[in-house]
Amino acid sequence: MRTYILRRLLQIVPTVLMITLVVFVMMRSVPGDPVVVLLGDAYTEENAVKVREEYALDKPVLVQYGIWLGKLVRGDWGASILSGRPVLSDVLVRLPVTLELIVLSMGIALLIAVPAAIIGALRQNTWADYTATTAAMIGVSIPEFFVGILLLLVFSFSLHGFLPSSGWMYLPGTCPSMVCGVSVWGNLQHVLMPAVALGVGRAAILTRLLRASMLEVIRSEYVTTARAKGLSERPVVFKHALKNALIPTVTVMGLQVGFLIGGAIVVETLFAMPGLGTFGIDAIIARDYQQVQGFALITALAFVVINLIVDLTYTFLDPRIRYA
Amino acid sequence: MRAPYALSGLRFLMIVLTSLAVFVSSSALAAEPKRGGTLRVAYGNEILGLDFHTVPGYEMIWVATNVGCGLLGITPDGKFVPDAAESWQISPDGLLYTFKLKRNVLFHDGTPVDAAAVKFSIDRIMDPATRSSMRPFYEAVHSVEVLDPHSVQIRLKYPYAFMMHMLAAYRMGLVLYSPTATQKYTLEERKAGKAEAVVGCGPFKLVEWVKGSHLVMDRFDKYFEPGLPYLNRVVIRVIKDPVTQMAAFKAGEIDFIADFSADHVDTLRAQNPGAQIMTGKETTPMVAMMKVTVPADGKPMSKERAPHPIFSDIRVRKAIGCYGIDRKEIVKIAFKGQATPWLGIIPPGSLDTVDVTSMCPYDPARAKALLAEAGYGPQKPLTFELLTNTEKSVFSVIATMVKEQLARLGVTANIRLVDKPSWLTTTTQDGPFDMYIEDLATLLTVDQNSYLSMTTAGWNHSRHTDTKVDEYYARYAREMDPAKRKAIAKEFQEFSADKLYWNTISGSPFYQVAQPWMKGYVYQAEFKVHYKKVWLDR
Repeated sequence: MRTYILRRLLQIVPTVLMITLVVFVMMRSVPGDPVVVLLGDAYTEENAVKVREEYALDKPVLVQYGIWLGKLVRGDWGASILSGRPVLSDVLVRLPVTLELIVLSMGIALLIAVPAAIIGALRQNTWADYTATTAAMIGVSIPEFFVGILLLLVFSFSLHGFLPSSGWMYLPGTCPSMVCGVSVWGNLQHVLMPAVALGVGRAAILTRLLRASMLEVIRSEYVTTARAKGLSERPVVFKHALKNALIPTVTVMGLQVGFLIGGAIVVETLFAMPGLGTFGIDAIIARDYQQVQGFALITALAFVVINLIVDLTYTFLDPRIRYA
Repeated sequence: MRAPYALSGLRFLMIVLTSLAVFVSSSALAAEPKRGGTLRVAYGNEILGLDFHTVPGYEMIWVATNVGCGLLGITPDGKFVPDAAESWQISPDGLLYTFKLKRNVLFHDGTPVDAAAVKFSIDRIMDPATRSSMRPFYEAVHSVEVLDPHSVQIRLKYPYAFMMHMLAAYRMGLVLYSPTATQKYTLEERKAGKAEAVVGCGPFKLVEWVKGSHLVMDRFDKYFEPGLPYLNRVVIRVIKDPVTQMAAFKAGEIDFIADFSADHVDTLRAQNPGAQIMTGKETTPMVAMMKVTVPADGKPMSKERAPHPIFSDIRVRKAIGCYGIDRKEIVKIAFKGQATPWLGIIPPGSLDTVDVTSMCPYDPARAKALLAEAGYGPQKPLTFELLTNTEKSVFSVIATMVKEQLARLGVTANIRLVDKPSWLTTTTQDGPFDMYIEDLATLLTVDQNSYLSMTTAGWNHSRHTDTKVDEYYARYAREMDPAKRKAIAKEFQEFSADKLYWNTISGSPFYQVAQPWMKGYVYQAEFKVHYKKVWLDR
């Protein structure tokens, strides 16, 4: 097990390097020059040449990547071309917001998906099943921003600020700056609508997947055996069927993290949240290469680490799985 | 000669900003201002950085005007008023500007605002290494001399009629920096918003800027104007989505939206009958810029220019940009009538503006005739690329309308929609485009447009090479007689409308929105956003 974890951790290095290299090259292939954005109305060719020299933007792309990598090895994530702010500190300020959003939205997705899938599988082809599958189909089809706007219009606009429309409030002890709103209840109020907006789509996907897995598992011989042994329905469903049906679902949950980060960009922008999603999209729009690299690095790291954790949970769900 | 604070001869903003809808809440006038409280402000765009002399963007400017102070300010009706300077004199030849400084003005780090500090700030802007966008407007400045600790003199190389306007309000006007803090900290630290590095002498001091989250400014207790500011704190958040802005406004989560989308004004008004919605005569032009020259050697920014294959021909420019565009229809549909159809090189709300729109009536028959004369018609249809960007939804609406209007002439305009940095790169770096739709910088005077349209300007997007434009700007800026200057402005705007190196479609409306309880705010379009006299009545 330890060897497996070590091997997987070592695999993270080339994976992340490859992702950051691809992002690095792609960003420089996209039209739009950060120097023009930086100089704004002070743009002249002479100024532009000097700025490119200062930021090594006049060097070949691979040399620039090498410079970035060299600094990264020393723990320097670089500084924003536009604002001059250190990328790492900005990423660390925003990471908790997005992590909380993602974890909570996945929690909401599971809260909806697990019971809906179980009911759908156990009562296949009944109104309950049809309701669950139809709701799941609708959930998959509606984009996050639409759900977000609906929630916003109902809970913030029509109900006169029952839930805050935007911004963020930190959990006690997590404020990353000098001035923060801090409150558990306030935090929950701020995160609820974005998490629901982001979680509904994931809930729909997980419901469909888990229902299909459950249908397959409850027809398997060991479930029939469990029932024949006289076990009541509850342990049959929750201990034997659900646990095994969860394995493909957990795999998909890991893969969904990527979609959640993508969805977070939309949801955070809509709800004006100071998270990594808005950080990433602002960086891309401004062609702030250093910030884009920081965003790519942190999301790549998050993705591979979460998927490693997902793989490790297989051993808990199915003791037959062993990693050499 | 001691100049009065209000330069009656100039009368410049009597026309400019009296036409702006100056908003002062009537209750604010009646009631006694209350002290304290936190003003919660929403910006629609992110602040790019906090070095006031170099970083672009209105959002930065609206911070600078509160953290910083300058020599003088300007009122909506165009009067120059003291800021750190208590008085000033202009020599009869217009070459010496002598400012007497107030003695009680301090920077936020406790150091005095003295003549050396003024010299330091102006010298910094004039230093090419600083790369300040304001530098072209200091071209007339020969030197800055410290006469005594409280007197500073600016010596000009030649008379410059807009020296005072420039110091008071071009971009955000001259913002004074503490020499001590500026020399102690790096440019990067200032850009990054490190509070100790961003030290001005305004009513609020910077406490914290967390990019993407918030910016906090607190009252500067030693601010030199007695009793001001009223507020304890200003918190600025970025809320980009107008629907979210409206929801936050209706829920009372924010007090003020510094830049509200014109598309959503009617909805916000309907939902919030008590809201203070502020606007005025447009000071930003919406343009359909046509490229006049291209690099002869194919290298962008090359000094060797060749005629643009389509729009170098004045007949085509007139057919398309003048008679082929129905400005009234565009304003009616794209702006729901909330803008002014316009043609002049400066927008309706700027000083010395002249309405020359009648020079380009919508006349499809005349447009077709000109196109035929230029060799275009059914046998040789004209097709060109219409570039615009995603920054504001109204750009696409206008581009679509222009496309549709030109289709009536048998002309095909292929719209290319790109994001703002791509648009900036293409237009500013002499990239390939035929025409673009965009609203450009807010303009106080004709003179201020020089950095966008002189032949030597980095932002001369049409890349015209007509030095007569430069001559007009020089004549206008150096003419000290307001009446003669106005005549030059009129002649120049007619010349510009005739040549169409610059093709305005309309003004671009600007809106700010405040809660009913926000008092004392004075609307000054994009030029100034001051919170020092704002107070909260709740």
